[in-house]
Amino acid sequence: MLNRLADWLDIRTGYRALLREALDEPIPGGARWRYVFGSALSTTFLIQLVTGLLLMFSYAPSASTAWGSVYYISDQMTLGWFIRGIHHYGSQAMVVLLVLHLIQVLWAGAYRRPREVNWWFGMALMFLTLGFSLTGYLLPWDQKGYWATKVATNIVGGTPVLGPSLQKVIVGGPDYGNQTLTRFYGLHVGVLPTLFVLSLAAHVALFRRHGLTPPRRAGNRATGHFWPEQLFMDTVASLAVLGVLLFLVLSEHGANLDAPADPSSSDYPARPEWYFLSLFQLLKAFPGKNEVVGTILIPTAITVVLLLIPLFDRFLPDTLAHLLALGFVVALVGGVGYLTYEAWRSDAHDKFFQAGRAKADEARRRALRLAGDPAVGIPPDGAAYVLLRDPLTHGRGVLNAKCLGCHYFDGKGRGRQVASDLKGHGSYAWVRGLLEDPKAPSYFGKVPQCDGMAEWKKNSKLSKKQLDDVARFVASFAAVPPEMTPEEWLNSPGVADHPGQEPFVKDCGRCHVVDGLTEGGYRDAPKLFAWGSKQWTSRMIHKPGSPDLYGYLEKKDQMPAFTSDQLTENDVTTLIRFLKNDYLDAPKPQESRVQAQVVRATGP
Amino acid sequence: MNRRDLYRFGTIALGSVAALVLAVPGVAYLLDPLRRKSKQGDFAPLARLSELQVGVPKVVSVIEERQDAWVRYPKEPVGSVWLIRQPERSKAPVIAFTTTCPHLGCAINLSADGKSFYCPCHTSRFDFSGKRLNDIPPRAMDSLEVKLSTDGDPWILVKYQRFRSQTEEKVPLA
Repeated sequence: MLNRLADWLDIRTGYRALLREALDEPIPGGARWRYVFGSALSTTFLIQLVTGLLLMFSYAPSASTAWGSVYYISDQMTLGWFIRGIHHYGSQAMVVLLVLHLIQVLWAGAYRRPREVNWWFGMALMFLTLGFSLTGYLLPWDQKGYWATKVATNIVGGTPVLGPSLQKVIVGGPDYGNQTLTRFYGLHVGVLPTLFVLSLAAHVALFRRHGLTPPRRAGNRATGHFWPEQLFMDTVASLAVLGVLLFLVLSEHGANLDAPADPSSSDYPARPEWYFLSLFQLLKAFPGKNEVVGTILIPTAITVVLLLIPLFDRFLPDTLAHLLALGFVVALVGGVGYLTYEAWRSDAHDKFFQAGRAKADEARRRALRLAGDPAVGIPPDGAAYVLLRDPLTHGRGVLNAKCLGCHYFDGKGRGRQVASDLKGHGSYAWVRGLLEDPKAPSYFGKVPQCDGMAEWKKNSKLSKKQLDDVARFVASFAAVPPEMTPEEWLNSPGVADHPGQEPFVKDCGRCHVVDGLTEGGYRDAPKLFAWGSKQWTSRMIHKPGSPDLYGYLEKKDQMPAFTSDQLTENDVTTLIRFLKNDYLDAPKPQESRVQAQVVRATGP
Repeated sequence: MNRRDLYRFGTIALGSVAALVLAVPGVAYLLDPLRRKSKQGDFAPLARLSELQVGVPKVVSVIEERQDAWVRYPKEPVGSVWLIRQPERSKAPVIAFTTTCPHLGCAINLSADGKSFYCPCHTSRFDFSGKRLNDIPPRAMDSLEVKLSTDGDPWILVKYQRFRSQTEEKVPLA
């Protein structure tokens, strides 16, 4: 039955002759293990094709969706990490096998007349493979791919004459963005595979036309056949490649995904994929005006020599040409190896690089943690906002950059401390500490122009219990919602009958105004309604010199105001949420528990 | 078994192993959507009872947070519901229907004369109790569970759900 079906098909397609033609290829001197590289490359390409197609089912190329979709593939989908991991390491296997195949072809002299054209197709396939690597590296739109590819396209931009236009066309405009991704995606999944398959077809067809280059010392070994001897070896080799891929994928649990691309980051230690590290290192040897020698001239010269290798024997005796070709490639591989090692070694000894990498890894872990949390996730406007809206990442960054020139945080700052320590600002612990010792460096000890609290402390007769109550009362101000008026607040439950209210009015109210509760007047002091809340702190950041805050101080003694251009809405929000420990995985210290109790006791 | 047979058998066996190592995870990856569950809605307030007139259908939006693959959307309209207030002393004070047509999932609107429900895709037609008026849809409109809050002017709380299309029975999507 099966045979009849096969006969039927054969009469109509002639597939048996085709198959025989493909399988019965003669192998002069018999099958050899050293012939496996071409087939192993084809298999690996097939693996890339299959895994690449699978990834296309879930990948979304745009600046706002790329990272999220890759995250989804790697961290959420069934075995997505496996598929992406195989694709990732498969691309590296391609490069390694390519070099081995090239050396084998050179060694066997299989590039020589009449096989010159096939050598050139091989070269085309090599550059297409590198093109795949370069374009694929960008697609996750993470820090790693973003910065590495930015460097690569800027190198293109440095090409004499055509460079700038070329770069603009490749990048899809003057800047990196959505068009860069769609273009690289189009190249990676459309243009390059088409060219690769066509070149591969030509490469194999030409190979079959000229046959295997007979070994010089084939001796009297019989001619073998592709099927089954050579194909068996090829299959073993392909399986070995797959085994290595499996080992890498399983031991690394797939491919790494760095933090989402952040064009504003100033400290990302960008490095290309390892097989481009030699070019990266070469660039260092030609600083300044000579850079183009390292980036363009030398690589181009190497390419030209590689392309000319089959023509050497037109000018030189065969053996000398062969030796020269071999010598050139051996030197090239050695040089690449040396430069790669140097690049790796200098990074391994570079503390600055290591610190940058450690920071990038921290950002990576944080981004993955936030993206995977059901309460946070990736917002619709893109993965870039995962970290940008994270108080721990962005808020802490804003604090460091903008506040810690004057303030301290947890006993540390960037310069001489001339303002309070912001750790726990707005919490019970902070207020209680202030009431205990206003002249401590954490409070107004470094702010001599704000000596009112110290003066109060000298004369205050409040008991320890009363101080506790007042601190609780003031700490509860931070929970006043933005839309609440002082009057509504005073009438809300837990305020009028708060045990801290009476001592507050009696002592604090002499200077501090809370509309409807205290009148102040003894000394100038900021108004305290909703003190420590988001709206109060935000106003303090933008308008510290307004009459309800520190307007009574001389201008030079006030905190400098930040406009909303210097600190955006998001900057302020994340900063304040960071100070309030309001973020994913925030520590739950004693004081914030106390504060939470205060909020519960006093109501919203 | 001679050497050639060993090569033959070995090639096929090893080739199959290689193919399986990729094919099995590949298929599992492609079938990932089967693991995804439809979100089970909870009762949510859609309108006040006083906003409805007896017997006059009103369409309201269902506002929910939504997770679409990797994206987490904030609260926004995710679907619509027809609410019809029933006469006093009816068993149910308000009936709610999802606007999703049980036929092939288009959105059910009011007919031009405003006297029946009408789906513009394939002309399914229903009366205001959800009953079919022609044989195009496989079942009546899909009603949703309704509760009223205990306020003076009660909130109409509706549990928004999605159902399979084309079946005669009403089957919630899992």
